[in-house]
Amino acid sequence: VTAPQPTRLAPRELELPAGLVGLPDAVRFRLESWGDDDSPFGLLQSLDDPDLAFVVVAPELFFPDYAPEVPDDVVAALELQEATDIALLAIVTVGDPVERSTANLLGPLVVDLATGRAAQAVLSPEEHEPRVPLLAASGG
Amino acid sequence: VLVLTRRTNESIVIEGGITVTVLEVKGDQVRLGIRAPRSVAVHREEVLAELTKANRDAAAASPAPEVREALGALRPRSG
Repeated sequence: VTAPQPTRLAPRELELPAGLVGLPDAVRFRLESWGDDDSPFGLLQSLDDPDLAFVVVAPELFFPDYAPEVPDDVVAALELQEATDIALLAIVTVGDPVERSTANLLGPLVVDLATGRAAQAVLSPEEHEPRVPLLAASGG
Repeated sequence: VLVLTRRTNESIVIEGGITVTVLEVKGDQVRLGIRAPRSVAVHREEVLAELTKANRDAAAASPAPEVREALGALRPRSG
């Protein structure tokens, strides 16, 4: 299963039946677009805990080569089929200044675009890292 | 905690179609073979701990509104 991804995040509700890693009770979220009209970022606001929110981004904009295979356990949990349209979201840790923000490419969220069900995948730590700078350090 | 003693090539069976086999013992390292249905996630504990910390750090860093504009304007650097 591969992910064709929209850059602009459309507002919608998401359900993570298993929660996030380490936050199993964080199940119901609303994804809101965030920033100006062209912003690639979204805010994933918990509907269970008003104090819990994550900034997310469609990773392909900052990481064009990032196309991980969806792990089997996520395929099973979300009952994904070959034809299921999915999107990936990377959780962003906002830095200070924002140019130092990082994206979690080790544990992306896999979203079933039809149902709004999602899960946090745990990818191989040999291949992916949880804190990848959005802007390459050498980029100026 | 259930404690079991196993030798090389011996296994334990966990309900749900999961079998864990001791493949090799070398010094303080143990190689395990894990057979489980594809729907069962198997991870090293430290990877989950790392992701737990990353998730909590990301939640704690949920930005104030004034950060929103600056972050929202962030784009990939070209070249």
